[in-house]
Amino acid sequence: MSAATIVSEEKTILDQERTSVVGRLARHYLLRRIIKAIVTVWVVITLTFFLIHAMPGSPIDAFISNQMSLYGIDYHTAKSMAASIFAVDLSQPMPLQYLGFMGGLLHGSLGDSLANPGTPVSTELLQYLPWTLFCVSFGLLISFVVGCLLGLIMAYRRETWLDHALSGVGSFLVSIPSFLLATLIIEFLGVQWGILPFTQMRGSLSPGVKASFSPGFVGDLFYHGALPIAVYVLSTIGTWMLTMKSSTIAALEEDYVTVARARGLSDRRIMSAYVGRNAILPVFTQLTISIGFIIGSAAAIEFVLQYQGVGYLLLTSISARDYTTIQGIFLIITVSVIVCNLLADLLYGKLDPRITAIGSGAQE
Amino acid sequence: MSQALSAHPGVSMRSRRNPLAGTIRVLRLMARNKVGFVGFVIAMIIIVGSYITPLVIPFNSIGSTDMIYVTPSWAHPFGTDYEGRDVLIQVLRGGTDVVTVGLLTALFTTVIAVTFGALSGFAGGRVDWSITGLADIVLTIPTLPLFIAISGLVNLNSAWQLAILLAVVSWPLLLRAVRSQILSLKQRDYVEAARALDLGTRHIIFREMLPNMMSYIVINFVLTATSAIYLSVTLVFLGLVPLSESNWGVMLNLANVRGAVFLPNALPYILGPTFAIVLLQFCLVLTLRSLDEVFNPRLRGGA
Amino acid sequence: MSTSMPSPAVAESPFAYPDAVLSVRDLWVEYRAYRGMVQAVRGVSFDLRKGESLALIGESGSGKTTLSLALIRLLTRSALVRRGTMTYRRRDGKEISVLSLSPDELRRFRWKECAMVFQSALNSLNPVLKVWDQMYDTIKVHEPMSKQEARERALERLRLVQLDAERVLNSYPHELSGGMRQRVLLAMALLLNPQILLLDEPTTALDILTQRSIIDLLRRLKETLGFSTIFISHDLSLAAELADRVATIYAGQVVEIGEVRATFYRPCHPYTLGLMRAVPSLTASDSEMTSIPGSPPDLIDLPPGCKFQPRCGYATEQCTASQPELYAVGPHHGAACFNWQVLSREHEDAGKP
Repeated sequence: MSAATIVSEEKTILDQERTSVVGRLARHYLLRRIIKAIVTVWVVITLTFFLIHAMPGSPIDAFISNQMSLYGIDYHTAKSMAASIFAVDLSQPMPLQYLGFMGGLLHGSLGDSLANPGTPVSTELLQYLPWTLFCVSFGLLISFVVGCLLGLIMAYRRETWLDHALSGVGSFLVSIPSFLLATLIIEFLGVQWGILPFTQMRGSLSPGVKASFSPGFVGDLFYHGALPIAVYVLSTIGTWMLTMKSSTIAALEEDYVTVARARGLSDRRIMSAYVGRNAILPVFTQLTISIGFIIGSAAAIEFVLQYQGVGYLLLTSISARDYTTIQGIFLIITVSVIVCNLLADLLYGKLDPRITAIGSGAQE
Repeated sequence: MSQALSAHPGVSMRSRRNPLAGTIRVLRLMARNKVGFVGFVIAMIIIVGSYITPLVIPFNSIGSTDMIYVTPSWAHPFGTDYEGRDVLIQVLRGGTDVVTVGLLTALFTTVIAVTFGALSGFAGGRVDWSITGLADIVLTIPTLPLFIAISGLVNLNSAWQLAILLAVVSWPLLLRAVRSQILSLKQRDYVEAARALDLGTRHIIFREMLPNMMSYIVINFVLTATSAIYLSVTLVFLGLVPLSESNWGVMLNLANVRGAVFLPNALPYILGPTFAIVLLQFCLVLTLRSLDEVFNPRLRGGA
Repeated sequence: MSTSMPSPAVAESPFAYPDAVLSVRDLWVEYRAYRGMVQAVRGVSFDLRKGESLALIGESGSGKTTLSLALIRLLTRSALVRRGTMTYRRRDGKEISVLSLSPDELRRFRWKECAMVFQSALNSLNPVLKVWDQMYDTIKVHEPMSKQEARERALERLRLVQLDAERVLNSYPHELSGGMRQRVLLAMALLLNPQILLLDEPTTALDILTQRSIIDLLRRLKETLGFSTIFISHDLSLAAELADRVATIYAGQVVEIGEVRATFYRPCHPYTLGLMRAVPSLTASDSEMTSIPGSPPDLIDLPPGCKFQPRCGYATEQCTASQPELYAVGPHHGAACFNWQVLSREHEDAGKP
């Protein structure tokens, strides 16, 4: 058999794979992820509905009996009040209520706030959500970029004092709960050493400043956002550092790096395109896993720093027993997490060319 | 961590017959990583101590108002709190609930994850598909907001209750690891042999496959405990879960609520429980390094 | 470390040639392991002529891979070239000492003068870059040229190794089979027209049909392009097919070196003889196949005297006491054995096999 025949055979096999299996799988990956995201959102919505509306002794029943006992309102009036506030039609049987609830959601109707009657929950959310998103995004961006760079340096300078120091700092930061970090920052930088005027830095905006695109507003935004962003950065950077370090070490031992050196490529090129681009993949996976956790920790951080974001609102709603708002916030937080996960997954698919071909990675 | 799992130097047939010798061997392997071993020892001290100290050291709930936020001295090494009570005593006694939640959650999670992971991997098909799907969904839900929301609806006030709820959201990670191990081990020779000898599914799972998954299970146990501790302390700190009178989370909550954060003298009141929590978490993380030695012993001296 | 060619007296030794492209003299490489220093390469000397193909044959652990990595100074941090010289003669006639190249000069030397095709093709290409990007990387750093020209060169090389050039160039490594990747590596090695090509176990990881095609390809390329080759293998039959000269390596030393025919028909070192006897022959009967008893020595703690002595059927007292040099046993044929004449006579008595 001549070499040419063998090569053309290999070629035909690969072609077949491409159009039939690989082609389908490429679309498959995207589709699967999106479907899974949608299903998860649906499950969460259903769960919330069940907890808030369907259980005995649920918030709706509590509201109705509350209105009746405290304000002497009759059952039917209380019930219709509940219906409008909770955005459900209580005259319908449960399954139809459920569908109505879902339908309402798609229109953005989440009911009214119990603590602030007359204010739709969606309006409240829109007031508080941007702040949280702002801080988390900035924090994540900074910590991921800096963390990965540090991790790369640590791997290249392995076993030096720099590596040991940074590894220690990284491990340490990973062990501190984020709210403790926030507390410690205020305690030390604010109270003990007086470096930061933290009382003024509290809250999301200085009094009197209105939202606009002016430099004054942006400056104020960052002034107040500095502490939350700093806490997000410090509480997450350790993970990126340590993960990137270990994946870089693994990448450095790969054959293709040795071959790249043998090819006379410059160290810089090797570090960026050969080591870096491969090492960052596991860190990205870790990012996907951590996103839910990071967004979730917003509540505690905003509480300590008195930053009026969605987490802060969640906690005040708890003490105010504002069930509709609680429900709304929980939904929006969960949906944000799911969307972020999806985006991260899709981005990973772009970074790693092997994904579209294999289809879904080892775990599916 | 996936190569050559069929022979574990630390966990062998012999050591299962003689638990003492096995334990000593494991400890010796762990001691190879000095930093990790120190962490392990400290973590053990804290954990065991948390249960012993409340029995040994009485809690003086009555403080004297003229001793509020006293600076540290020999009588009160960590100073006093907002009511004049000694802080060090509170710190030493404050670990019980935190540690209990951590251990219980890890225990429940492990049981759930191993059972269903093994079932899922072994059974395959519809069962596998539905369990994995459920795991993915649970994994996506952010835990802290979920528990904050739950605390608004349900009164959480016992460590066991909290532990069970935490376990319900923590099992997916370990389940995935267990399942993928089972899937790959299903093909191995000794499983084929056991099948040929008709030894039964339960035997195969528990006697043949589990020992090879010990590394994942143990490491995940520690990690689950860490995140359970993290979550429970956060919830107590936020004032949502009134677990007990004094534990580290409560101390921090009171520090925040009573404004201790803003009083320079109250520093030890904040640092005490902080130090305890961070130390415990840090040492647990270090323990993982030692455990790594047990399951993946270094064969070379490193080039 | 001298930079001039060896003096006339040494040039008469069995491995030296006057017009060598590469001249290795007394190379010692060791590296640090947990238990001590591993003596991987112990006093290796040989010459490589222009356009010729030299096979280094030895068992695993004999130090052959370390030797090949040392030639382009790609050893790990724990390795050390203790002694020796490697002199390379460029196309313009200038001689350079490889061991004293600066990091920059070394980068330019690598691939352009001497390229290497590694053992496991499966992971030798960066999985996140297309083949084109990796080829362009290689060309860009050595010979500045326009993208168009570089693309032409890459396509031409891929055609040379009989691949569908356009398609392969635009593929990612995981989209190619093992055999295709091996060819890509070969094409990439020839991108800059190196004078020397190092091949480490070029066919070991491949199935038998692909092996065949790679061997044919290599032979054809050598004839067309005229580069010198050093290839490393444990497979003696490969040497018989592709090499002009062969050197057998044992315990980090060259124990026999000579032209292929001469060495195979008249092996003068017991190790070479043992290797040949261990290869199954399609025509001979089973009883004629024997393996070499014992196992390779511990390279950290080597016994004095001849390192092959514990496994040697021809060993005498002298062999335990002292280490034999490379004796001239024929024209350009050397063997490091005190008793080479015994073996030589055996072959004469038996007649040509």
